[in-house]
Amino acid sequence: MPPIRTSTRTRKPPPEGFDEIEDTLLEFQNSMKDAENASHEGKKRYETTWPIFQIVHQRSRYIYDLYYEKEAISKTLYDWLLKNGYADAMLIAKWKKQGYEKLCCLRCIQTKETNFKSTCICRVPKDTLKEGKDIQCVSCGCRGCASGD
Amino acid sequence: MDDLPVRPPAGLPPLAPGWTEHKAPSGHMYYYNRDTGKSTYTRPIADFHSFHQPSSAFPPPSAPSGAFANADLFNPLTTAPNFNPLTQQAPIHHGGFPPQSFPRGGGHHRGGPRGGQNNFSDRRRQPEDRPKHRNDIPSCAPWVLVKTKLGRRFVWNKDTNESFWKFPLDVVKAVVEFDRMEREKKERRARGDVSEEEDNAMAEVEAQLAAAEEEIQHEIVEVEGDVNMEDDEEYEEVEVTDDEGQEAAQPSKRQRTEEPAEDQPLEMGEDDIAWQLAAMEEDYAEEEEEEEEEEEGLPLTDEDCKALFMELLDDMHINPYTPWDKILDEGTLYDDERYKALPNMKARKECFTEWAKYKVQELKEQKAKQLKKDPRIPYLAFLHLYANPKLYWQEFRRKYKKEPEMKDPKLSDKDKEKLYRDHIKRLGMKQQELKFDLSALLKEQPLGTLNRASTLVTLPTSVLTDIRFISLPASTRDPLVETYISTLPAAPENAAAPGEEEAEAAKKRAEKGRRERALAERERRVREDKRKQERELAYGKGRLRDEEIELERAMRVGKAGLRGQLGSYEGDAQEGAGDGRE
Repeated sequence: MPPIRTSTRTRKPPPEGFDEIEDTLLEFQNSMKDAENASHEGKKRYETTWPIFQIVHQRSRYIYDLYYEKEAISKTLYDWLLKNGYADAMLIAKWKKQGYEKLCCLRCIQTKETNFKSTCICRVPKDTLKEGKDIQCVSCGCRGCASGD
Repeated sequence: MDDLPVRPPAGLPPLAPGWTEHKAPSGHMYYYNRDTGKSTYTRPIADFHSFHQPSSAFPPPSAPSGAFANADLFNPLTTAPNFNPLTQQAPIHHGGFPPQSFPRGGGHHRGGPRGGQNNFSDRRRQPEDRPKHRNDIPSCAPWVLVKTKLGRRFVWNKDTNESFWKFPLDVVKAVVEFDRMEREKKERRARGDVSEEEDNAMAEVEAQLAAAEEEIQHEIVEVEGDVNMEDDEEYEEVEVTDDEGQEAAQPSKRQRTEEPAEDQPLEMGEDDIAWQLAAMEEDYAEEEEEEEEEEEGLPLTDEDCKALFMELLDDMHINPYTPWDKILDEGTLYDDERYKALPNMKARKECFTEWAKYKVQELKEQKAKQLKKDPRIPYLAFLHLYANPKLYWQEFRRKYKKEPEMKDPKLSDKDKEKLYRDHIKRLGMKQQELKFDLSALLKEQPLGTLNRASTLVTLPTSVLTDIRFISLPASTRDPLVETYISTLPAAPENAAAPGEEEAEAAKKRAEKGRRERALAERERRVREDKRKQERELAYGKGRLRDEEIELERAMRVGKAGLRGQLGSYEGDAQEGAGDGRE
């Protein structure tokens, strides 16, 4: 029987510039693992997924910033990162739209899944909310991601 | 005070040639001339009016002519062309400020230059004098009126660097006018009187002056340019007249304003009220001055703030690829003063983004400049050490699969295998052939990359990546290569210009220094403001208490009733009088 060719043997190296951001990405990866393995005790059922969403957001934001704001990574590396699941391409696609620059997660703009067919509470700007009201959305624990805030 | 004469080091000019300095057993310094065999206590100085000029004895402007008769012996200045015996002007031509012994005030020493013997005792008795502060004489441009520590005055020409104790005729008028103005100003300022002893006040004023001078000299060293105006203000603030007898009346203003009103006795006399009024006025004056100072101080623009913050990031060696949140979590930035240069977090984040962008560009350029290291170089070096004709490729790979050179993803497995097989094949060839190949390889190299300057460590990439280079064992190969290199001529000249880079770096450093100073300045101003506020608070408290006392006094109704009250209002000191009248 021929030996099974694993991906490690035929692995293509990541594009140029990956070594610089590798450490940070590893940290994100580790914190993601921690969040996955964290105990759910004392948490509400919907709270358990919040850290996952938050880390995904942070990591996507990091890559987005590197490519669009700081122009620190090349197009090829950016594409490679998206392809390998380091960042959420759909989320980044939303960030490019006006009014969605700070969007926390995709579930928060999914109107079909809510009771009143509207977006999440975290999409409401601070000044239209009641004074002194502290909100945290159910889907990802966001405290407000309207662009004007 | 940028062009105040510089004091000579240790206060003494250099000795004239031939003279040597010695210390007598009694502790006095004396000077000995080996050529003439003479010795003297007076210091022979080596400047253009040569020989026996005693530095400590400068011709006094008001010296009686009798003194000059014997002064001629010692003072060659009397024969100097620009010396006018009628006006008795004594030109002082060095940059330093020499006068140490001359008549003081009313003049108990009417000496002028004396013989060497009494000179030293004189020096000991007289405290050392030095310029304290200086005022530009209005409408008399290059002349500057300098006041010394002991309250004497002389004029100094900034342009020619001449100074005279006796004012020249044209300057006299301007000085008189200036004095009049000063007196008026003083009268305006000092309404109240101080009940302090003269000595005490004088000592304090002097201490303050010394401090101020030090500060100013500091500033001169650090910041040249627009601080001048500020210094002048500081000088005006602590004015000391040279008019004898008035010094006692001159209030030590700084000290008074710094003392809060708490220390005042409970009873308020008219004097005290006047005193407080003066203090209040003083505060206002100071405020105005400080405002001006603020305008004239080193400006700290937004760009400077940003640059400061960027410097901080640079100094902390922060990786531009790290996310901002992580940097904040680490908390290394907070301790630095420059962190506060920017007002809020948003600005800081923006600044960080900008800096990271710039920094990444820089890193990229650096990387591009660096020769891209061929992944084959370490691999071939590895093969050179470990390749063995007894091992097949699979065996070799299995044996060394943990080595970083074998795991390197930049070189594909296919290439690795091919290189290995080629290398093994070449190892079986004859020594002579291999040597010939190596010399052919070396000869192929252009002189620009391989020349006499290159060593075994700095061989060009084209050599290192060639399989012919590793075919021979190191013991035979290295001497061959070295001998070949030694036969090569030197490299063709490519003149690089590092001068521009250096200039750029120096400019950057200067800019950095300026910004840091500006930040320090701003902090100092903030501190000053705080202090002022505290002072005002204390002052307000004092006033409040005074009012309370007054109120209390008003509420104290004695047996005299209303009459007693009226009586106590009539005169301040007649509190008991109401009772007495009854």
